[in-house]
Amino acid sequence: MFEYVRYFILRALRNMRQWPVLCSAAILTMAVALTTVATFFLVVINIQSLARTWSEEVQVVAYFQTPPAPTELAALVTQIEDLPEVKQALFVSKTEAFQRFAARLGDDAGLLEGVSHDLLPASLEIALQKTARNREGVARVVAALKKDRRFDELRFGQEWLERFEKFIELLKFVGLVLGSFFLFAALFIVSNTIKLTLYARRDELEIMALVGATKNFIQVPFLLEGALQGLFSGILALGFLSLSFQLLVKKSLQSFWLTPVDFNAVFLAGSQQLVLVLSGVLLGLLGSLFSLRKFVRL
Amino acid sequence: MIQLFNVTKSYGRDSVALREMSVQIEKGEFVYVTGPSGAGKSTFLSMLYAALKPTRGQILINGANITRMRSRQIPFLRRKIGVVFQDFKLLNSRSVYENVAFALEAQGKKRYEVSKKVYQALKEVGLEHRLQRRPLELSGGEQQRIAIARALVVDPLILLADEPSGNLDQEVTLEIMELFKRAHARGTTVLLATHDHSLYQRFPKRVLGLEGGRLVMDHVP
Repeated sequence: MFEYVRYFILRALRNMRQWPVLCSAAILTMAVALTTVATFFLVVINIQSLARTWSEEVQVVAYFQTPPAPTELAALVTQIEDLPEVKQALFVSKTEAFQRFAARLGDDAGLLEGVSHDLLPASLEIALQKTARNREGVARVVAALKKDRRFDELRFGQEWLERFEKFIELLKFVGLVLGSFFLFAALFIVSNTIKLTLYARRDELEIMALVGATKNFIQVPFLLEGALQGLFSGILALGFLSLSFQLLVKKSLQSFWLTPVDFNAVFLAGSQQLVLVLSGVLLGLLGSLFSLRKFVRL
Repeated sequence: MIQLFNVTKSYGRDSVALREMSVQIEKGEFVYVTGPSGAGKSTFLSMLYAALKPTRGQILINGANITRMRSRQIPFLRRKIGVVFQDFKLLNSRSVYENVAFALEAQGKKRYEVSKKVYQALKEVGLEHRLQRRPLELSGGEQQRIAIARALVVDPLILLADEPSGNLDQEVTLEIMELFKRAHARGTTVLLATHDHSLYQRFPKRVLGLEGGRLVMDHVP
């Protein structure tokens, strides 16, 4: 058994050394395909995490026609906070609203000179429970608030969140389609590259069969070679991906105007990196298997 | 050892390579298979190591019907048969040692066993001093001796040689014949396909004569 394993490994390595150009072509092709798919995956997980950051800020703002009296307000706040979707309801008085606006204007706050402090309406800022920060949750809170005539207008960042969710879905779909396409292309190229090496070694295969080598004995070194090439391509892809993450994904996400300052783009987790490398191994194995099935016949 | 019963091999309707051939070869025999080009000599030998299947008829080797053999059993049949070709069929990118070792490695033999047997086999054919050379650095006769060493290193029950001296001059042919005779003396059944009359005149043994795919002569001296 040990003799077989040793022989298979030595042969696989020897084959790779014997055909360096074909071997490098196979490794590079697989690495590029894996990097493309993984980059898409990385973009999707980062945009999803960005979306999560944004969704934490999803709240409903209810503007009053006229601000209620303090006792009435306390009852209203309790009533709203009793809704299961609501985490907290915070009253913002006209003056507070004006101050916030002035603060937001910063150096241009001078523009507000002579403007009445009760220009802006008082409001209730309703923060939602984590589980309710979605379309349904917002819709239920809005429906409850709409019944109350004291509110003049309701604002909620629902529409853009939905659009954004759709955008992520689209991105996932494009990633899946492009990824499958690239993986398929890689599989095709890998299997053809291996077919070329098999063709170059057809004498060897013929003689092996002649001296009584079993089908497995002939095939295993080639499968091992495919798997090894896949392993190298997986590791190479990880390198490429980390480069594209530093130079492309991270920078473009940070330069996006809606990205919060403290947002940290994430790289693949350890287990995901392992999956990437193992995908390379699988790709190499399948590529070899497809070509061997057509080539090695006893 | 080898039994053929009404064996026919055809490649399509109009091309029949072997017709209704029946023959029996005993263990330890030395048999020449002769005939002009296209007589069916190579087809006959190819069927014995299961590279070709007969269209009709049965072939028994050592009691086993190889026409009914599953493809996964064929390698085990071939381990009992050494084959030598006119064009040597050596791996030119490998050394003499590796070419011979190949046959044992394919059978999963242990490393020390491989090196011991390869050295013995190469010594037997007089090439033990050329272990690390590549086949193309050697003469045609030496290349054929590597091929014979590869065939004999596995201690085969049967040695098949398809025109082994076809590319060699008379002197080298005699050297090669000497190796076949030695293998025969050790008990190996030898089948040697040739159209060289001088060979079986010089070393008279049983001759099977083929012509147009038919067995037309079975002569025992």
